[in-house]
Amino acid sequence: MQSSIQHIIANNTFWLSPQRCIYWEEEKALILSDLHFGKTGHFRKNGIAVPQHIYKEDLQRLIEQVVHFNPKKIIAVGDLFHSKENKELELFAKWRNDFHAIDFILVKGNHDILPPSWYEQKNLTVKEGFYQINEFGFVHDPNEFNMAETAVKYSFSGHLHPAVSMKGLGKQQLSFPCFHFTKKNAVLPAFSKFSGHSIIKPKKGDLVFMLVNERIVPL
Amino acid sequence: MKQKKSIGRELILQWLTAKGFRPFDFQLNTWDAIAKRESGLVNAPTGCGKTFSVFLGALMEFVDENPADFSSKKNNGLQLLWITPLRALAKDVGRAMEEVMHETGISWKVGIRNGDTSIAERAKQKKQVPEVLIITPESLHLLLAQKNSRELFATLKIIAVDEWHELMGSKRGVQVELAITRIVHSAGCMASNHLLVEDKKSGLNQQPVIGNSQPLVWGISATIGNLEQAREVLLAPLQKEGIIIKASLDKQLEIISILPDEIEKYPWAGHLGIKLAEKLVPIIENSRTCLIFINTRGMSEVWYQTLLTVAPQLAGAIALHHGSIEQELRLWVEEALHTGKLKAVVCTSSLDLGVDFRPVDTVIQVGSPKGVARFLQRAGRSGHSPGETSKIYFLPTHSLELVEVAALKQAIGENAIESKEPMLLCFDVLLQFLCTLAIGEGFRADELYAEIKKTYCYAEMSIDEWREVLQHLTAGGKALQQYDEYKKVTIVDDVYHINSRRIAMRHRLHIGTIVSDAMLKVKLLSGGFIGVIEEWFVSRLEPGDVFTLAGRNLELVMIKDMNVLVRKSGSKKTIVPSWMGGRMSLTANLGRILRETFNKALTDEQSIEIKSLHSLFLLQKKLSHIPRSDELLVEQIEDKNGFHLLVYPFEGRQVHEAMSAILAYRIGRQLPISFSISMNDYGFELLSDQPVPVDDSNVRDLFSSEQLLADIQKSINSTEMAKRKFRDIAVIGGLIFQGMPGEKKKARHLQSSASLLFKVFAEFEPDNLLLKQSYHEVLFQQMDETRLRQALQRIYQNKIILSFPEQITPLSFPIIVDGLSRNNYSSEKLEDRVRKMQAQLEKL
Repeated sequence: MQSSIQHIIANNTFWLSPQRCIYWEEEKALILSDLHFGKTGHFRKNGIAVPQHIYKEDLQRLIEQVVHFNPKKIIAVGDLFHSKENKELELFAKWRNDFHAIDFILVKGNHDILPPSWYEQKNLTVKEGFYQINEFGFVHDPNEFNMAETAVKYSFSGHLHPAVSMKGLGKQQLSFPCFHFTKKNAVLPAFSKFSGHSIIKPKKGDLVFMLVNERIVPL
Repeated sequence: MKQKKSIGRELILQWLTAKGFRPFDFQLNTWDAIAKRESGLVNAPTGCGKTFSVFLGALMEFVDENPADFSSKKNNGLQLLWITPLRALAKDVGRAMEEVMHETGISWKVGIRNGDTSIAERAKQKKQVPEVLIITPESLHLLLAQKNSRELFATLKIIAVDEWHELMGSKRGVQVELAITRIVHSAGCMASNHLLVEDKKSGLNQQPVIGNSQPLVWGISATIGNLEQAREVLLAPLQKEGIIIKASLDKQLEIISILPDEIEKYPWAGHLGIKLAEKLVPIIENSRTCLIFINTRGMSEVWYQTLLTVAPQLAGAIALHHGSIEQELRLWVEEALHTGKLKAVVCTSSLDLGVDFRPVDTVIQVGSPKGVARFLQRAGRSGHSPGETSKIYFLPTHSLELVEVAALKQAIGENAIESKEPMLLCFDVLLQFLCTLAIGEGFRADELYAEIKKTYCYAEMSIDEWREVLQHLTAGGKALQQYDEYKKVTIVDDVYHINSRRIAMRHRLHIGTIVSDAMLKVKLLSGGFIGVIEEWFVSRLEPGDVFTLAGRNLELVMIKDMNVLVRKSGSKKTIVPSWMGGRMSLTANLGRILRETFNKALTDEQSIEIKSLHSLFLLQKKLSHIPRSDELLVEQIEDKNGFHLLVYPFEGRQVHEAMSAILAYRIGRQLPISFSISMNDYGFELLSDQPVPVDDSNVRDLFSSEQLLADIQKSINSTEMAKRKFRDIAVIGGLIFQGMPGEKKKARHLQSSASLLFKVFAEFEPDNLLLKQSYHEVLFQQMDETRLRQALQRIYQNKIILSFPEQITPLSFPIIVDGLSRNNYSSEKLEDRVRKMQAQLEKL
């Protein structure tokens, strides 16, 4: 596995994994966003023949990350699931059962539309709006979060599926999914490989870490 | 041959005589052929009674079969199916037909079926089937999706395909092939009625309908280079040869170029040409009615506005007509054209086809028409009566286009009209068609396979490929796994059906093969609609960028709900959209003649176009070289953007796209290098951030035709050509939903982009049928080996001139500034490229 990159925020150590998630050392927490689990199943159920392997590979990567970091808890900052229930979610349930000792917190995203009982059965702790540990906040859409109204000093989000584009001589242009850190907020790349991305324009002082061929490259 | 006495023909001839018409020979010949129950292709230009050839033939047949009661016999069932590519044509054709019926007293009714047909009208047609149904390919497929489609076509005598030259060569043409094979074979089945006996379960019509023999198939086509093949493709489902009937009507054509007063000041690049707008005013004013053809919708908006600005007196007398205009307005414009109420109509290909607008006596073509056939078709929109001269003005949008018109004149003189290549093995269209049948009466695999194999498009389809198609429909690709709920087509008693109402409804909304770029409305923040613009153009802009639309400079504020919100801008620096028009490629034909035209660049005293470009050619010669037809010019220019390698094969954009990819690949094999590739119809550019190692020691080998096939394959894989093809294929094949009124919100969780799908298929299911098709399409359409080999062999024989101009030349300018930049190629490691870019950033 490619190596992770250390990133310090307010004296806390965060490891950015090339597999599109963050490990928070002090809290032993794995942070991820936009897994969109069940997306392939939802498409296929509706007669759109997308490759089915994607969801398995996504889950496999998650398992590898869990084995690698051995977290006590997982924090999903939204869009863990893509849509309504389908059979693929059974695989998630099976996995959840195998790793039942890990706390799993889901900060709900706009795609997380399953009934509350479903999350409960799968032993997921669901947070509406935002979730907080110490001065760190977790919220799906950074644009719908007013930090000033809370005691949060720094927040982690998803939703945007950020990517950054680079330009070079000779009209060359490349773009890569990325982690995007501003002074008060971090946006994670979408965990799922079956997700598009939107190009962000980093501001001065922002830190951007690109995912280049499963390696992390600071911009 | 002695013709047997025909009451029908006498009736029609009487009618024609009464109106003061005499039938043309090609019409008589068509009537004879129909009377003999032959199928075939009528080759006649627009505007000389081509409709009447097949239509009157069908009427005669009906009268002959019902001599006593042809004027009273009602509800005869569908007799004539009239397939037409454009909705706009249907109304006019229908009106012409109804007039005949009215005046001859024949009892037929005419129905129109297309996207504009109201629900009430559809219901009426269902209750009482009209004898003539004028229909688009899409709506025909929708009919095949009905449960009673077999019954509907049981009485059919003739399938007529109007403007077949326009349909063939596109996926809509493939739709027509599929519909024909289905209809003629189900008619065959009706006759032997074996299927109905088996079909107990559906509770359909248990009474065998009295078998009609197979319907005739008639195509109507303007002149193209491969008429024989056009007939073969159309009639393939009948397994009959059929005949070609040609109209020999020579029409005089006069082509007049509109020249800028000072060619030195006319732009070297661009697509708009509005600088010359004032020159159109006297032409418009001296015409009865004038059609102004603009290559794209967006540009036509600009032209319309510009004309109103330069000639405010024309307000109310000019109108705009293009495909994205709402139907009511479109119909109004067409009506006003018929009645001669308008002085001029600014239009796109939306008015290329169809019945005549009699008042039209002048046609203006703005920008290169890119092909002889299209130019002739447009010219033919004026001066309809035989013997009358068609007059077409050509307005160049940049100076070099004048060379193109000189070449066009030459080509028309030589009658060098291009061919339309039929499409082969379009699995996306087939998948869509099978779903269409599956929501209708369903199909049996073996039976349908035999039918489909009879089409030209799928004649070479193997049984394995067919199984793969079925597998895709029933199991969603090859992966059959746990946790899967793939649901589309199910098989009950060997019959393939779609049972899910939701999937069926979505499919119905989605039938069609025209995948259009999403158009966004451009609105001022302060309110006020400006025009429409293609999404792909807007997607390249950043808020704050200034672009030109409708002659106004507009600053992009934001994009919201399919609306582009802008504010007026005083900025001088704007981006003029490189519109869709750039996407049409010069045909190979015209390319050759264009190369020959350059031979005369500084010597031709005859051609007004060439003469007017004298100063431009002198500059080209001074800075670099004017390529002769036996030379290939290669220019290498260095500037602040990097290192430009320019090659001028004059083969048309399509060939250049392929050739540039191969060249990039061959250079990239020698060292790690990245290219941005742009092209136009004259040549292409490989732009790199490092010097390009091309000199007289290796340049010839770059154009070698050895190892061509292997190099083609590799260069396809290393550029994005297949990805672009995949977009349309994914939509047609049912992987992507385009806009869908009402349902859009519900289907939000089913949205994905073609580029994302391409990526995941490439990674997770590389042998997917539709993915393979996109490579296949590049290989056979774009990178056609035969054509590339010919081009390369020609170049290999040529003298290659290497030139190192100090500055940008007249030939290179349009490519560098305004070329269509499409492909990227790199043989460098991704990480290395990132490192290089970062180093460049730091230097700034």
